[in-house]
Amino acid sequence: MAQVSGRQVFAERTAVLLITIVMLLPVVWLITTAYKPSNQIFSIPPRLDFQPTLDQFRNIFGYFDVVSLLRSSVAISAGTTVLSLLLGVPCGYALARSRSRYATGFAYFFLAIRMVPAIASLIPFYLMMRDIGLLGSWWAVVIINTMLNCAFVTWMMFSYFRALPRDMEEAALTDGCTQLGAFFKVAVPAARSGIIACVLFCVMFSWNDFLYPMFLTTLDSKPLSVALLTAYGTKDITWGSLGALAHFSTIPIVLMALFLNRYFVQGATNGVQ
Amino acid sequence: MAQISFRNVFKSYEGGHTAVRDLNLDIADGEFMVLVGPSGCGKTTALRMIAGLEDISGGELLINGERANDLAPRDRNIAMVFQSYALYPHLSVADNIGFGLKVRGMSRDEITAKVKKTAELLELTDYLERKPAKLSGGQRQRVAMGRALVRSPNAFLMDEPLSNLDARLRGQMRAEIAKLQRMSAVTTVYVTHDQVEAMTMGHRVAVMNKGALQQLDTPRNLYDHPVNLFVASFIGSPPINFFEGMVGQVDGAPVVKLGSFTLPLGAFAARAATYHDRKVIVGIRPEALKLTEATEGMGIIAARTAFVEDLGATLLVQLDVDAANLVQASVAEEEDDLKAIRPRMRAMIDGVLAIAPGDVLSFAVDPAAIHLFDADTGMAL
Repeated sequence: MAQVSGRQVFAERTAVLLITIVMLLPVVWLITTAYKPSNQIFSIPPRLDFQPTLDQFRNIFGYFDVVSLLRSSVAISAGTTVLSLLLGVPCGYALARSRSRYATGFAYFFLAIRMVPAIASLIPFYLMMRDIGLLGSWWAVVIINTMLNCAFVTWMMFSYFRALPRDMEEAALTDGCTQLGAFFKVAVPAARSGIIACVLFCVMFSWNDFLYPMFLTTLDSKPLSVALLTAYGTKDITWGSLGALAHFSTIPIVLMALFLNRYFVQGATNGVQ
Repeated sequence: MAQISFRNVFKSYEGGHTAVRDLNLDIADGEFMVLVGPSGCGKTTALRMIAGLEDISGGELLINGERANDLAPRDRNIAMVFQSYALYPHLSVADNIGFGLKVRGMSRDEITAKVKKTAELLELTDYLERKPAKLSGGQRQRVAMGRALVRSPNAFLMDEPLSNLDARLRGQMRAEIAKLQRMSAVTTVYVTHDQVEAMTMGHRVAVMNKGALQQLDTPRNLYDHPVNLFVASFIGSPPINFFEGMVGQVDGAPVVKLGSFTLPLGAFAARAATYHDRKVIVGIRPEALKLTEATEGMGIIAARTAFVEDLGATLLVQLDVDAANLVQASVAEEEDDLKAIRPRMRAMIDGVLAIAPGDVLSFAVDPAAIHLFDADTGMAL
């Protein structure tokens, strides 16, 4: 291996540090906003030597039904994730093991579905949900998010299963498994890190999704992401309260990412040539 | 235990490629059958057809006399060892070995007992709780063997199981597998491209090329009596030397002329009679060339040393033969590469001799060690 000079290491670390600071600044801003007294939120230059207060957290429970918002966010994310995986994982496997020369084309076609601008599908989908009476329910958001995420999961699992040697499943077949048994007992456990990465992506996409729940849910079924952005300017809601509310919207994702970080990177880079 | 038979079996793929053509092969109960050939010769496809992992395009596969073409792999009770070992990465060694038993619904106690016994046999007892990723290549190979052994299947199928091991370990495992097979007396089909494995392990060896069976025989017979040029060139290391020759007579005795050299045809005399004045290919194995003092005469080949490879006990000498035409011994996949290289005669001689490039050496050829092939068909005379 080539020798790495001390200067090079220093330059690399400085670059990493700078990038980290740039990435973390908005987060620090968001967090500090929640603990700053109202009059210091917009002080220029921004100050970090303020007297922290929990007033904003007390306020938001008065302004928002935080439990209901959280419940909606969880229901939409969990529903989307479960459905996307139930459909996407077998679909990705089937494509990966298909002998058809069109399999790869199909997989990329699925990825393209994820690239359709959300706004383009919103209106027809809105009308469909209205006609079948699901408009305003969690289901409306779960279904459209599943459509998009399942396509993404299919593509990601396709890449993942393609990278898994077929031998293992064939060994399972000769060991006495059925094709389905080989899938569940061997292929799925072997692709565990890919599946966990998919879970993370799905949860992130649907937890942070704003556009669809904004138009497809009602006051009772709206999730945190919608409440956050629509609250400002109504009642007596300040940036401080939004900062506090934003804690609930970011912390679960950050925690998940922290705990599952290694699967995330492994899964996201595996099989992607 | 099982008897396995191929009856006119074909395997062709979409696009017209035929991997196996008209294969007829009977594997006896308890036999260790080796399928050998260069890559792409159809040996692995044939093995996978026995396992049920590959559809059969034509013909019949019989297991114990019954048609098995459409049986699912799980219904054949056949265990397979893969080239990649195909261990389940998420399961411990014990669970890997016991997987097939668990799938077949055996009780936990029985599984534990069987896994333990198999692990002892393969010296894996200390590693039972480890995951495959934490094992060495040799240990993984043994786990793959254990997974096959534990089930007491009708037959073992092994697809180049030693090709990922280093040379020393390969030699050791070669003997080990042969011993295990003799001990269990389970019908075994072993695929390899390594002719040392083919020669040392099997009761019989099926040599395949381009999807077709070339010769099915004992290792000894393959070496001594190859039926065609392909088998002669594939079996034997270093490979056999081929010369262009012309059958003739000297003083009434049949001989074969290689350029300016003349070799007597002892045992071939009767068969060679019909080839009088016709071109043949003469095969002489490197180990059949014996150094001699005589520089010319009947049964002598003289050549100039091009280079010498010292193998320790022996010297592998490559020689330029100007007075006769050498024919390249080609083996399918290497054909193009070999055409570019000038053919040289190879001889194995005693390692203690001092031979240097440029030396002219004379070799005596034992008439019994000569192989003759029809120049047009490539078949042995």
